[in-house]
Amino acid sequence: MLSPRELERYARQVMLFGEEGQERLKKATIFIAGAGGLGSPVSIYLAVAGVGTIILVDNDLVERTNLNRQILHFDRDIGRRKVVSAAEKLREINPDIEVKVIDATIDADSIHRLVGKADGIVDAMDNFPTRYLLNEKAVAEDIPFFHGAIRGLYGQVTTILPGKTACLRCIFPNPPPKEAFPVVGMTPGLIGMVQATEVLKYLVGTGELLANRLFLWDGTRACVEEIALEKDPSCEVCGERRTRKLVER
Amino acid sequence: MSVTLRFFARFGELLGNSREIDISEDTSLADLVREVAGTSSEGYQAIFNEAGSFHRYVILMRNRKRIQSQDAETTIIADGDEIAVFPPVAGG
Repeated sequence: MLSPRELERYARQVMLFGEEGQERLKKATIFIAGAGGLGSPVSIYLAVAGVGTIILVDNDLVERTNLNRQILHFDRDIGRRKVVSAAEKLREINPDIEVKVIDATIDADSIHRLVGKADGIVDAMDNFPTRYLLNEKAVAEDIPFFHGAIRGLYGQVTTILPGKTACLRCIFPNPPPKEAFPVVGMTPGLIGMVQATEVLKYLVGTGELLANRLFLWDGTRACVEEIALEKDPSCEVCGERRTRKLVER
Repeated sequence: MSVTLRFFARFGELLGNSREIDISEDTSLADLVREVAGTSSEGYQAIFNEAGSFHRYVILMRNRKRIQSQDAETTIIADGDEIAVFPPVAGG
């Protein structure tokens, strides 16, 4: 049940989704992998929208070079754990939700303990090896996976519904090279918003998801492109004869 | 015959975002991209490795359908095709 205070807080979006939609958000648990450039806007907006439980995982300290884009962290937070800084802000932004933060590295061993029984996994990582792990976990446990990535003024988003859509491995069988990527804060801000909107629509059960669609943002030209995707039947993660042992419990 | 070749993101910066090209019959997708990318050494190196094969992470689409890079050498382009080449991004 929504409290009078919650009904007041969410009044303008209850106009969109009804109290039933808001209840769905309240009951949901969303796992956000990363409290950086994407994780900041995603967690802030899911928090203010009233997603009942947000689990945020990161293993880093706040550095000055993060501050051009990682808007959960302030100048005074330099040197603090990112998850501590993030939890403080998110709890202040919305005290009516539960914010769980975990200071940990997401790897093949820790991923089960970390993700738990989330209703959705948001990819706010900055590297493909961890994204592949999250994708495998999502496929193995049938959890929707909201992919986003950025570089410079470019970004990409897709929503992976295990069993129904292409998985991250189908779409990107090989990762781009690792690099210290250039970035300005607006790009993860915009891409994070697309991801958060996808999470919201999925939880409320409204609208049309970016399922089997790759959203491509080109900020240099202010152009959005969309590429149709399809499952790769020979995918090593989700294919009919998967060759890869998934990271199951 | 004429085809449209589109480069996304960094590839577009290096090679131009979109162009229409007249090509001869029996041109493969790989040869088409190789020829156009060859107009910029940086553009070429962004898409192809030293052996002249596509970098493994490069995504190729023909008429919005994915073409695996190993099939690009034998995929013959038809009149009116739209070919898209893009690099996934990895930052967060």
